[in-house]
Amino acid sequence: MRFTSSRVDALNLRPRRGGLVLASTLVFCVLILSAQAPARGRRGSVLQSWVLTGAAPLASAVSAVSRAVSGALDSTGGIFRARSENDRLKTEMAAKDRELFQLRAELSQSGRDRRLAAAAAVLPNVVGTAPVLLIENRAGLQSALIGAGSLSGVVAGSPIAVSEGLVGRVVTVGRTISRAQLLVDASAAAGARLSRTGETGVVKGDGRGALRLNNIPTTSRVQTGDPVESAGIDGIYPRGVAIGRVASVTRGSSLFLEIRVIPAASFSQLTDVLVLAPSPAVTESPGGARSGTP
Amino acid sequence: MKWKRVAVLVTAATAVQLLLGGSRYRNIWPIDAFLLATAVVARGGDSVTAVLFGGGTGLLEDALSSDLLGMNAFAKAAIGYVLALLSLRVMFGGVWAVGAALAAASLANDAIVAALASLLLQAPVVLFSKECIWRALATGTTGAILEAARIFPWKDWWEKRRLRRLR
Repeated sequence: MRFTSSRVDALNLRPRRGGLVLASTLVFCVLILSAQAPARGRRGSVLQSWVLTGAAPLASAVSAVSRAVSGALDSTGGIFRARSENDRLKTEMAAKDRELFQLRAELSQSGRDRRLAAAAAVLPNVVGTAPVLLIENRAGLQSALIGAGSLSGVVAGSPIAVSEGLVGRVVTVGRTISRAQLLVDASAAAGARLSRTGETGVVKGDGRGALRLNNIPTTSRVQTGDPVESAGIDGIYPRGVAIGRVASVTRGSSLFLEIRVIPAASFSQLTDVLVLAPSPAVTESPGGARSGTP
Repeated sequence: MKWKRVAVLVTAATAVQLLLGGSRYRNIWPIDAFLLATAVVARGGDSVTAVLFGGGTGLLEDALSSDLLGMNAFAKAAIGYVLALLSLRVMFGGVWAVGAALAAASLANDAIVAALASLLLQAPVVLFSKECIWRALATGTTGAILEAARIFPWKDWWEKRRLRRLR
């Protein structure tokens, strides 16, 4: 790196001023952070809402380009894969024909089962779908920017999900885009229920892409592979939406089991999410959405 | 640094961040575009501009993806200052040094945010996760490639190429 005359001038004049500006900026950041800290977990700040609204056109445009590029990449890859896939499909088709007869009988049975299950479960109200514009994972804090805002009926506290399972909840709402906290965020939590045994606990994100199910006693009959669903006891998430499956169960020294859960939703592959209607507890509370910790 | 250039850098960084973050392939090359933009400004050696730019882009990043406004602003302002000082006072350069400095800066950014989140949100400290290390590597490598492109003698290369084609 060369020392030009302008650099030497800067070396002589700027350090003290730079230090002062750094100190002022850091103090400013601390003041902003301190001002927000007591209200954490509630509705996002007005400034955040403004910035989200301001960034909406750029975010939407970039998202459209991103989707077009992804589509083009997929198409190109698809051409190269088409020939081998065609051969494979022909072989598979013959096998599928044989399975078809058996499947028809099973389909009839599963249709009846599904109707029963659907009637028994409390179905959450879907407000609409939203594209995922950005997923950020920094130091265990995982969030998503989604392309739907107050104009689409999204409010702070609305749960978001995909067909595989629960994804998280909206925390800040702009006019056309919103920010959501993902369930795998290190500070996110939800009331959860083991579908097989019926025991309830609290599922928490570990910030590394998995979840931990707490408050399940050591007397539980939980097993690896057991499905975990939302319990609807936290006033945020509706009951009966899939969260994941138990990946491992270990007996710690305390009264509770240490249960690791693999999320049902593939968080790294999210492209669109369903926005659900918020729980009545969220809409009735004066502060809007409550903290993720039940 | 001219304000027009600052505006272009902020817009480009935001666009790149949204382009990569909104794609299904986001985990393949998860660079920190805001940090790269801060490093570009800090490279000029003006610590005042670097701190203000780092703070501004960090605030924008917070608004887009963080629970509290100011966590990334704090981290990037501090990193901008350190990078500006390094650029001004330490005789270092070259592709490897720039790449390593940016990778270290990315890790430092994550560490500062983790510490602030732990203090203010009582969030568990998640340091040096797989994603964090991969982002540091991607950011460092991207910075190194940009530095290589910057110092490459394009004029000579173009002239040699032109002469070769004339022969």
